[in-house]
Amino acid sequence: MIRRPLRPLAHILKARAQGENPEAIEKENIRIRHEEMRDRARTRAEARLLVLGGIFLIAFCMIGVEMAMLAGSEPEEPRAAASGSPIIGQRADITDRNGRILATNLETHALYAQPPEMIDPVGSAQQLAAIFPELDEDRLIRDFTGDRKFLWVRRQISPEQMQAVHDIGDPGLLFGPREMRLYPNGALAAHILGGASYGREGVDSAEVIGVAGVEKYFDSYLRDPANEGAPLELSIDVTAQAALEQVLDGGMTLMNAKGAAAILMDVHTGEIIAMASLPDFDPNNRPPAATSVDPSDNPLFNRAVQGVYELGSVFKIFAVAQALNLGLLNADTMVETAGPMIWGRFRINDFHNYGAQLSVTDVIVKSSNIGTAHIALMIGVERQQAFLRSLGLLAPTTVEMVEAPTGAPLVPRNWSEISLLTISYGHGLSSSPLHLASAYASLVNGGTRVTPTLVRQDGPQNGERIVSDAVSAEVRSMLRAVVTRGTASFGEVEGYEVGGKTGTADKPRPNGGYYDEKVISTFAGVFPASDPKYVLVLTLDEPVETSGSEPRRTAGWTAVPVAAELIRRVAPLMGLRPQVEIATLDDVSITSN
Amino acid sequence: MSYLEYNVKYVPSGIRKLLYLNWPLILLVTAVCGLGFLMLYSIAGGSADPWMRPQLQRFGAGFALMMIVALVPIWFWRNMSVLAYLISLALLVAVEFFGEVGMGAQRWLNLGFITIQPSEVAKITLVMVLAAYYDWLPGRKVSHPFWMLPPILLIVLPTVLVLAQPNLGTSVLILVTGATVMFCAGVHWLYFATVIGSVAGAVTAVMQSRGTTWQLLHDYQYRRIDTFLDPTSDPMGAGYNITQATIALGSGGWTGRGFMQGTQSRLNFLPEKQTDFIFNTLAEEFGFIGSMTLLVLYALILIFCFTAAIQQKDKYSALLISGISMSFFMLFAVNMLMVMGLAPVVGVPLPLVSYGGSALMVLLVGFGLIQSAHVHRPR
Repeated sequence: MIRRPLRPLAHILKARAQGENPEAIEKENIRIRHEEMRDRARTRAEARLLVLGGIFLIAFCMIGVEMAMLAGSEPEEPRAAASGSPIIGQRADITDRNGRILATNLETHALYAQPPEMIDPVGSAQQLAAIFPELDEDRLIRDFTGDRKFLWVRRQISPEQMQAVHDIGDPGLLFGPREMRLYPNGALAAHILGGASYGREGVDSAEVIGVAGVEKYFDSYLRDPANEGAPLELSIDVTAQAALEQVLDGGMTLMNAKGAAAILMDVHTGEIIAMASLPDFDPNNRPPAATSVDPSDNPLFNRAVQGVYELGSVFKIFAVAQALNLGLLNADTMVETAGPMIWGRFRINDFHNYGAQLSVTDVIVKSSNIGTAHIALMIGVERQQAFLRSLGLLAPTTVEMVEAPTGAPLVPRNWSEISLLTISYGHGLSSSPLHLASAYASLVNGGTRVTPTLVRQDGPQNGERIVSDAVSAEVRSMLRAVVTRGTASFGEVEGYEVGGKTGTADKPRPNGGYYDEKVISTFAGVFPASDPKYVLVLTLDEPVETSGSEPRRTAGWTAVPVAAELIRRVAPLMGLRPQVEIATLDDVSITSN
Repeated sequence: MSYLEYNVKYVPSGIRKLLYLNWPLILLVTAVCGLGFLMLYSIAGGSADPWMRPQLQRFGAGFALMMIVALVPIWFWRNMSVLAYLISLALLVAVEFFGEVGMGAQRWLNLGFITIQPSEVAKITLVMVLAAYYDWLPGRKVSHPFWMLPPILLIVLPTVLVLAQPNLGTSVLILVTGATVMFCAGVHWLYFATVIGSVAGAVTAVMQSRGTTWQLLHDYQYRRIDTFLDPTSDPMGAGYNITQATIALGSGGWTGRGFMQGTQSRLNFLPEKQTDFIFNTLAEEFGFIGSMTLLVLYALILIFCFTAAIQQKDKYSALLISGISMSFFMLFAVNMLMVMGLAPVVGVPLPLVSYGGSALMVLLVGFGLIQSAHVHRPR
């Protein structure tokens, strides 16, 4: 601030000399200076206000221009910004070997309620109970009028139900979109597929997780977005599966069995073409887990994979094949069959008395326990164990189902000589039908090990060698003989050259010993016997064939006819043409005239 | 006895004061409020409930309050400034502890007979106390660093309290309003240049560092900033409001769909349609013409306030008027930019139009203060 020099003596003297009051001059000067200060402040304030006004003006113009632009523009629906590739949140489909859908997804809605938002809780509850008969009206009223802020009413609803709930018109009833797992074929291949359920649930979506079967085994694969929705291709053939289930169901009814299982397997690739266990269920509406005393009677129980049984005489071929492979005997070697055979405190009997001796082929054809036991004695415990292990009969199968590890074979704790004898004809060692199928496949396909699989394969497995090619051929001709002149004579299907072995095993009582009238009856078949393509294992649980004068339970009367019908139906579906067998040529007389 | 009273040569008294009110301003304010009632009626589907009737009642109460405030001499209000500011601070603190939660923030204080939003009150009281401070402070000390401290403290206190609610929009408004009063009071422009420059520099540094090895924030924080700044990048999530709002604006076209014909707002596409996004209903139903009308009304209000401020010889009154009009301007500018998608969505209502009691009452009281300053101005 510039001060005007008011006080210098010279100024005062000068003022006095002019007759003016210096005090008055000073006062006046101060007043003028204050006025000036205020004016400067005012000018500055005005300038500031004008700057502010300028900002206002600019903002007004911006808003006005933007409004004009919006008014002039065509309204446009928003689109989600394309930030990277879309994530496929869907669970992958499951298809059969030919790409036909076994499991897929469907858009659906869940119904949930927010009671605080509801206008008429009681009325809505009553109408809901009318739409969904399975809901309890009183419970709904309690839920809607209580303190709950949120509750799921139904996990998934049909479009018709959704419309009906819409028509109630209560703002507290809301729909959440979600996906559900759909099995379009219903109960077909139920045990293989298993089923799916919801994991974490939100109102906008819900996580679908596999709960059993391949759905659970491949859960992370099916949910992995990195697979980009590529379906999981199973080895199953839907047509064969349908035929197998139909025939098996009919056979089970006809033979009065309480359960049944069947497996059709490719002998070279180990692919399971069809596999069923009865009774079954609908994976779209999976029943609750077993609560009954015996879980093996629950429809959820997969007899083919989880059920371990003493399968009986079907095991005899293992002892014979091993003995042949070791060179201990050949197909025509005579084996002692005089009975009963006494071993320690055990007696081994045959179904019939077959005389003193039978050839090895006839031991199989006539299914002699005593003959097989004598062959087993030549083999010995160590080698028998090793052979059965190499066939995969002593460990759970590695098939791609979560249930596979629960189907662990029951092996004798102390593998004594008597175990050696009983196991040779199929007692004392329990295994699943699937074990049996892969062991048969390994024996008849030329002698290399196959492991069962549910995933489509591109070629044969070429596993480790178990028996030589020649032994495999001998085994096949023995199995063929069982059908042509042995215990499985009902198994003949013209043109398909069926070979196989029957097995009828008394069921063990839960507390020791065996039932007299409850059997597991099994047929392990292979076709065509000269150049096998498929192995079929069919097991009936407690069958009784009652057409004769007395009830018959042996596999030849129960499992074999069902298996024959099955092969008759399935073989053409698998593209096998009926072959004219060379043997029939002998009957043709060539004439010329 | 302030300079104000000292220099007033003529003050109208009694009923004559009514003649000296700034009537054009009152009419403009009433007109804008009327437009608001119309929109609230339309949004409710042609019904006075649930929004228009309470809003009308509040307007009646607020209008009476405005007149009372206008007729009380401005020097009384000047002497009350500090007290008012302290009370509003106390309310802001109280809302932290006893406040009711609304829209995810503690904003409402129930005083028994009335529910208020202290952050709205704080805006006006801050302007009052700052104006009083600069009226008291000798002009040559205004830019002195030491004398800068009290006003900064006065601004920062309510800003932080409101930010803690959390209410980013209002706290920014409080900050800018306070800064405006300081600017009008003549604080040296270098201070403002420094603050604006350093903020801009910091923002640039943060955004520039993105993607480099020394980036200052986490990636997710950057993504949040992205969505905040450009909500349209996420039209189904954070950007839903603004996307639907822009559709409403655009679908109005030049002349609009007609009164009560707006689909976006009537069909509930538009969220917060009776408060923050009411402008979109207006634009949809009355088009460019309707929204321009509102804009012109606002501009006229500001022009009248501005003229009143420039005419004022008294410093307190001038600062008060410019502060209040700035906070009014900020409200509608931010709201309009927000609903047109030019600014982030921060939850600022459209002044005098949006449904909401506190905001309306406080604004009317603010206009009452402007009127009081106008009536009791030194002539």
